[in-house]
Amino acid sequence: MTGAKSLRISHVGLRGVPGRGLTAAHVLDFASAFGTFLEAQRAPAPPPNQEGTRDSGSGQATPFCASEMEDDGPVILGRDPRRSGVMLREGVIASLLACGRDCVDLGIVSTPVIQHAIRRHGAAGGISIGASHNGAEWNALKFFGKNATYLSTAEAGELLDIYHLKRFSFAGYTKLGKLSEQKDSIDLYLKELSAAYEFDKLRRFRVVVDCCNGTSAPLLRRLNQDFGFQFILINERLEGERFAHEPSTNARTVGLQLAPLVTPLQADAGFLFDVDSDRVALATDQGEAVSEEMILPLLADHHLPKSAGKLVITNLSTTALLEDVAAGHAGKVVRVPVGRQAAMDALATYRPEQIAMAGEGTGAVMLAGFRFIYDGIASMLSILSMMAERGQSLSSILAAYPRYSMLKGVVPVVSPRIPSLLMEMQQDHQDGIANTADGLRVDWPGRWFHIRVSQTEPVVRVICEQRGEPPYEMFERLMDRVRRLA
Amino acid sequence: MREHRLKIGVSGIRGVVGEFLTPTLACAFAQAFGTYVGAGTVALGRDSRASGAMIQHAVSCGLLAAGCEVVDVGILPTPTIQIYAQDSGARGGIAVTASHNPAEYNALKLFNHQGLFFNHYERSELIDLYHQSDFHHAANDQIRTVRQEREAPLRTHFRRILPHVDAGRIRGRNYRVALDAVNGAGSLPSCQFLSAHLGCDLHAMSVDPSQPFPREAEPRPEVLTGLSDLVRANRCAVGFAQDPDGDRLAIADETGRVLDNDDVLALVVEAVLSRLPGDVVVNLTTSAAIDEIAARHRRRVWRTPVGEANVVQRMQAVGAVIGGEGSGGGIIFPAVHYCRDSYTGMAFVLDRMAATGQKLSELAAALPRYSRRMGKLVFEHGRLGPIMQTLEREFSGAEVDHSDGLKLTWPDRWVHVRASNTEPVLRLASEARDESVASALFQKVMMLAG
Repeated sequence: MTGAKSLRISHVGLRGVPGRGLTAAHVLDFASAFGTFLEAQRAPAPPPNQEGTRDSGSGQATPFCASEMEDDGPVILGRDPRRSGVMLREGVIASLLACGRDCVDLGIVSTPVIQHAIRRHGAAGGISIGASHNGAEWNALKFFGKNATYLSTAEAGELLDIYHLKRFSFAGYTKLGKLSEQKDSIDLYLKELSAAYEFDKLRRFRVVVDCCNGTSAPLLRRLNQDFGFQFILINERLEGERFAHEPSTNARTVGLQLAPLVTPLQADAGFLFDVDSDRVALATDQGEAVSEEMILPLLADHHLPKSAGKLVITNLSTTALLEDVAAGHAGKVVRVPVGRQAAMDALATYRPEQIAMAGEGTGAVMLAGFRFIYDGIASMLSILSMMAERGQSLSSILAAYPRYSMLKGVVPVVSPRIPSLLMEMQQDHQDGIANTADGLRVDWPGRWFHIRVSQTEPVVRVICEQRGEPPYEMFERLMDRVRRLA
Repeated sequence: MREHRLKIGVSGIRGVVGEFLTPTLACAFAQAFGTYVGAGTVALGRDSRASGAMIQHAVSCGLLAAGCEVVDVGILPTPTIQIYAQDSGARGGIAVTASHNPAEYNALKLFNHQGLFFNHYERSELIDLYHQSDFHHAANDQIRTVRQEREAPLRTHFRRILPHVDAGRIRGRNYRVALDAVNGAGSLPSCQFLSAHLGCDLHAMSVDPSQPFPREAEPRPEVLTGLSDLVRANRCAVGFAQDPDGDRLAIADETGRVLDNDDVLALVVEAVLSRLPGDVVVNLTTSAAIDEIAARHRRRVWRTPVGEANVVQRMQAVGAVIGGEGSGGGIIFPAVHYCRDSYTGMAFVLDRMAATGQKLSELAAALPRYSRRMGKLVFEHGRLGPIMQTLEREFSGAEVDHSDGLKLTWPDRWVHVRASNTEPVLRLASEARDESVASALFQKVMMLAG
C-alpha cells in the first residue's frame, strides 16, 4: 500500500489533492466527460408522428420523455473558497464551453445554493467545486443532474465510462458555449428559504455559528442584515489555505471553539457548518457538544408529524434512536448501504410524496420541505423551528430522548481477506438479525453493531450502539476479533 | 497528404478547434509553458475569434496549475499583449490567436519576459517539457489567481508609440481615415488610437469583436475591396486594414488602391529612416526596394531567414532601427518593442503624410518600383534539395544565399525558393525591376521546379 491517498475517481466524482495527484488534466477530462454525458442525455427531437413511432417500438413517446427533451440548459457552477478552486473553475469552464454547453458561474457559494440555481435556471446540470469536509489541501468536483440532485449510480457509472474512454463530443468552433456570471444566486436562495420557514418566529434566537471559514458565512451575514436574525459568527472569513480547524461536522469539532462559547454568550444554541454548508453539527444552550448522530432524529421528530411522507431514508450506521422517534409518528426508517450513492438510489425508488427526509449520521440531511437537497442551513432552521414551536430549550428537547451510546473503531485490513472476515463474523453472531447489504450489521433488541469496509481506504469500520451505557464489552470483543481476522 | 488541422511543434500549438485543438491540449501546453517560465505572473489575452474564450479558460487553468498568476487582459492585439508582458514585469505572455488563419483555427503565441517570441532553443526546451509531461503541479497554498487588467495594456502600448511621431501635427491635419479591423482584436483599440490619439475623422467597418470575421482573416489586397469602397465613398486620405490579432497592417491610398505588402514596409522604412539613423533588417523574401531606400539614407540592410524570430534576433544583434517582413505585412520598430505592430505602422504612415504634405498615392509612387511574383508547390520530402541544385546549375553567376532554402540574386532581380515553416508547401518568389523579367524568371523557376 502506498502512502496517504491523494486522488480518487469514483461514482461520487473527482476528488484529490492538487499538486499531489489531482491535476488540471483530470479536471478538464472529467468536465469534458460531463459535457459529453449531458450531450448524450439530449433526447432526439420529437417524431412528427408519435403514434407511428410507438408502433415501431423505437421511441418510448411517453409524457416523461417529452419533458426530458429540455436538456439544452446551461450548467451551473459554484465553488468553495479553497485557493485551488479557481484553477478547477477555469478547467471546468473550458471543457464545458468546448462541449457546446453554456455555463453560469455563481462564484463562491454553498453547494445547496448551486442546487437551487440548477432548478431555477432549468439547467441541464451543475458542478460544485469544493472538498466540503476534507482539509484545505483537497479539492473535488461534485456533479448534479437537471433535477438538481446528485447523479444516480447508473448515471455516475456512465460518466465514469466516458471519462475513462476519453472520447469527448467537442463542438465545432461556431457551436461553443458561452460563460455568464450570476451574482444574486444567494438572494434568490434566501428568498426561497424565507418562504419555507417562518422567519418571524426564528429571529429571536441568539445563535452562535462556527462557519469554519466556509460558504455559510456570507449566507448567515445576509440573514442578519436583511432578515433580522441574530447569528453570532465565528471563523467567518472565507479562507483559501487554512481553515480554523478540520472542517468536519461532529461533536469533537463542535467542542473545539463553538461549544465553549455558547453559555458565555448566553446563546440558545450553537451550530457548525462544513465548508460547503451541506452538513451541520450542534451544541446545546448548556454549552454541550452534541453527537452529529442527533441531527437526523431531531429533524425526524420535528417533520414527521407534519409530513405526508412517512419514510426516513438513512444508512445502516445511523443511530437506532431514529427507529424510536419514527415509531412515535407512524414513520418508517429505510436503511440502505452507507454512502451518498445508495441514498440517491433509494430516493429514486420511492415517490417523493412518500418520503419525509433522507440523511446520514454525519449531519447531512435533505428535507422534503426544501426539495431534497442536503442543506445544513435548512437543517438548522428546522431545529430552530422545533425550539420555537415547543417553547423548549435545545437541551431540554434532547434530554427527553432515550439515551443511546455509540462506539466507533477502525482496523486496517488486507483487501483479499475482507470477504472471509465478514462471513466468519456473521457465523459468530447467529443469535441476532443479520443484514448484509453493506458489510455486516447484526441487531439485537436495544443494541446492534455494523462492520463495513470503507469506500475510500482499505480499512474496516466497526460501529456499535446500545441503549443506555456505551457497549464497551461488545466493542472490545469485536475489535479483537476483527484484528485477528484481518 | 495529411490534413494539417493540428500542429504541435517548435512554433507552438495550432489547430482547428473541436476535434483537433481541444481544451485538454491547450491546458497541457499552457502548463508546460508555466512550468518553463516559473511561478510568476503571465499576461494572457486573445483575439476575437469564437473559440477564444474557451481556449483562454483552458490556458488559464494550465497556468494556475503550474503556480502562475494569470493577468487576464481580455481581447487585445498581439503587440499590445507583448508590450504589456514586458512592461508589467511578467514572466511571460500568451496570446490566444491563430493570427491570419481562418476562423475555425486557434493557436497559442508564446512570449518570454521581454514579450518576445521564444527563440529556437527556448521553444525546443518547452516542447520537450510538454512531451515529457514534466509539469509543475502547484499545491493549494501555491495556487494563485486570475486578475483582470483592462486599461494598462493599451495605455502602455500607445504611450510607447506616440513620442516617435509628431502626433500634434497629425492631429492638426484631421485626416479622414478608413478602417477595416475584420471584427478582430484591433476593432476597439484602433478606433481609439486613430480618433482619440491621432485626431482622425474615422470611417470604420468591421469593428465589432463580438461578430465573426466578415472577410478572409489575412489582409491580402484581393480581399480588401470593402476597405477600398469605404475609402472612395468617404473620400478618405488613407485606409488601414488589420488581421484578427492586429499585428499585420494593410494600407489603401486615397484612390482606394490597396498597396502591396512590401510597399507598406518600404513606406514605413522610408518614414523611420527619415527620422532616425540606423540599419534595417528584413527577411530574404522582402523586396529589394528596401535596399534602395536604405542606400538613399546611406544605411545598411541585413537579410535573415523568413520568420519573425529570425528578424528580431538579427535586429537585436545589429541594433537596427527598423525591420520587418514584406509579404507578411509585419513592421517591427524596436523603439516601441521588438514585435510586429500595425499601430506603429499606422502612426508612421500618417506622420509621413503630415510631414511631407503629400498624398499617400504620391508617397507610394516615389517608392522604388519592383515587380514581384509569388507561388507555392506541394511539399514532398526530398523535393527541395534537387530543386535547389537544379536552380544553382541553371543560374550560375548569381549571388547565392543558402541560409533559408536558396536565394539567387542579380543586380536587377532575385529568386527565392524555401520550405514553409507553418504549412507543408514550398514557397517560390521572384522580383525584378521589369515586370516581364519578373514573370519570365518566375515561370522558368516553376518549370524547373515542377
